[in-house]
Amino acid sequence: MTGAELGWTDIDVPVELPEVVDHISYQGVVENAGATWDYFPGHFDPNYAQSQGNPTIYVNTMHLAGFADRVATDWAGPRSRVVRRSMRLAGSIYAGDTMIGRGRAVAKRCDTSVDPPRYLVDIQIEVTNQHGALCCPVELTLQFPENP
Amino acid sequence: MDQDPRYQQSYELAFGTYEDALRMVGAASEPRIAANPVSGARIQLFAAMVHDGNRSYWDPEFARQTWGGLLAPPALLMGWLVPPPWEPAGRPPVAGIVLRVPLPGTTFINAANDVEFLLPIVEGDRLTVVEELVSVSPEKRTRLGVGHFVETQETYHRDDGAVVAINRNTLFRFTPGAPS
Repeated sequence: MTGAELGWTDIDVPVELPEVVDHISYQGVVENAGATWDYFPGHFDPNYAQSQGNPTIYVNTMHLAGFADRVATDWAGPRSRVVRRSMRLAGSIYAGDTMIGRGRAVAKRCDTSVDPPRYLVDIQIEVTNQHGALCCPVELTLQFPENP
Repeated sequence: MDQDPRYQQSYELAFGTYEDALRMVGAASEPRIAANPVSGARIQLFAAMVHDGNRSYWDPEFARQTWGGLLAPPALLMGWLVPPPWEPAGRPPVAGIVLRVPLPGTTFINAANDVEFLLPIVEGDRLTVVEELVSVSPEKRTRLGVGHFVETQETYHRDDGAVVAINRNTLFRFTPGAPS
């Protein structure tokens, strides 16, 4: 899902982004700790996670952020860049869960407060689990190339 | 629940009262420099973990023309400043300021994150972070337990001084379960 490239001028808002689904295995959560160097034990030790009141180990903020960024840039293409991301960790994604990312581009704007101007698209993403629980609402802004 | 000695390397919490924590609000850390420059290997390990085929992470020529080098996944920002789990000189890993806020809570979980990426971060960049304690909430009860929300701001810059990202994070420092 990296071939398509959208131009800023071609985008009509609002528009739904393609859904992204990822199953999170135990290996995936451990890869998460290894790739981010985040060895907080809630991310690799089920006993510790349970002592916190969780059913088992869970992915960290960087993993959820990376998944949200993927929802946006899979759609927009590799010349777009995340310039702002705001997320709330409302619920956790545990080993064994499935993450579902649904995005919606809600606004496009040209930021002329800087030179050269920035061509931006605002996106809202909801990361839910397989039970439909909203785990992570995200607001994200993508910047598109200077000459759209 | 005492801190488990098996985990002290990865997160050593400071303990104290809410009043102790409030006295630290506004404090800024000394700059901390990343143990390693941004590397293609870590960029691709992270991209593989989230199953992201973005050419900016995988195609060196495309990335060089587009960004000046392989692009660091924005989501990996905080990861560059996590100390390695072990170092040969025995230098103790320096934890982020958020773990050094004295509070009663025995554990923590992240609650919110808000970040602005001012400039692309690319392979070879070496990042330094300055952290500031923005606020500590009064005691709150959530489904996980009782604790305090701790808000910090991290400003990341490159060796040339350019600020590349500003990250605001809120973490819940709590003691699990037990009703008050």
